[in-house]
Amino acid sequence: MRNLIKSIGALAALGMLALGVSSVAAHHSSTMFDHSKSVTIKGTVVELRWVNPHVTLTINGSLSDDEAPSEWLLEMTSPGNLVRAGGWRRDAVKPGDKVEIVFSPLRDPDKKGGALKKLTVLATGEVFTANIREQEKPGLE
Amino acid sequence: MKFSPFFHFVAVPLALVAAVSIASAEAPNKAPTVINPPPTAQDWADLAKLPDWSGVWNPKISDQDVQVKTNPPPWNETAAKKIEFMFAEEKAGRPRLIFSYCLPEAHPSWMLVTHNALEILFTPGRVTMLGESDGNRIRRIYTDGRGHPEISDPTFHGHSIGHWEDDTLVVDTVDIVPQAPLAISEAAGLPNNGDMHVIERIHLEGKDILHDDLEIIAPKILTKPWKTTRIFFRQRARKFDIVEGVCETGDLAERVNAEGDSVFVPVEKSIWGHTLAVPAK
Repeated sequence: MRNLIKSIGALAALGMLALGVSSVAAHHSSTMFDHSKSVTIKGTVVELRWVNPHVTLTINGSLSDDEAPSEWLLEMTSPGNLVRAGGWRRDAVKPGDKVEIVFSPLRDPDKKGGALKKLTVLATGEVFTANIREQEKPGLE
Repeated sequence: MKFSPFFHFVAVPLALVAAVSIASAEAPNKAPTVINPPPTAQDWADLAKLPDWSGVWNPKISDQDVQVKTNPPPWNETAAKKIEFMFAEEKAGRPRLIFSYCLPEAHPSWMLVTHNALEILFTPGRVTMLGESDGNRIRRIYTDGRGHPEISDPTFHGHSIGHWEDDTLVVDTVDIVPQAPLAISEAAGLPNNGDMHVIERIHLEGKDILHDDLEIIAPKILTKPWKTTRIFFRQRARKFDIVEGVCETGDLAERVNAEGDSVFVPVEKSIWGHTLAVPAK
């Protein structure tokens, strides 16, 4: 029985890998996103996950007016770096907020996701960025 | 009952000597316990003579990027092929996970590729480094004159001893787990495979710039010691105060379960580490 469970587990793991799916968190490179491209999307905030090492933002949005809205998942750096480099807060955006986002899309065109570069809250005009290389001098305020 | 003088002056002392001898023979040869002595007022006062490394130090990431090309480690032939493959995969949008399972970036890779800030604390006999983003970024550098342990007990950050040469902290680190990667980016790095030895000279290079000059000896993957410098900027604004970071939360979403309790539930990740999907609330 134990061997059977092990075999099922191994097959499940192989299947997950074949699908490109895993459950291991880590600090990772961001070249799964195509940084040569900038795409703009408008939508409604579903959830901001304020977690290490990468914050994520889920929105319900579309790339153009004639496209039906769907869920997009955008990734950023860690909370600490977002606070300093991009002016973010845990409550920078809340579910239901209308936003415009500039992002680098995933290279896989079938996946709706990307690396967030800039977010504008449409109601207030407040802007948040995510470039951690913008804090490379001492004595920043 | 009365005892004879023989009993008092000969038999009793002989019995005591015999008892002590038996006890000594049975007790193992126990080394005296080495303690960390309580710091004196002078020990605390001496800390004020050290250079001021207070504040929060954030890394010069763009220099880390540049050194990937300008100052690569002297990989051996086998390692070089693996690194070349990793670069190709990264370029193709399939970046290898070097730091998986939220394990520590470890020494010296934390110093080499971190994107987050650190702080450095001086206490008598010790320098402590605390890093952001993962709770597991901690280095204890003993400056009390001790040596490395005789029996190796490898850890992710190794065993570090340090001493001051003028205003430079010289740190010697051994006993790093063989699985700890020598990483030059978040997608290029190899397990050191054992016997790694790191020597650092940490010093201010200007009022608010800290340099960590590293010499990395990793004989299983490098052909010769690799010298590199990592640069950190001092910040005093409170928004730079280091915040708690728990890497595992990246695998999880905050939810309320059927019983009304606040819980974490898994999200879906890719084999490259980014988040693919978050469960609905």
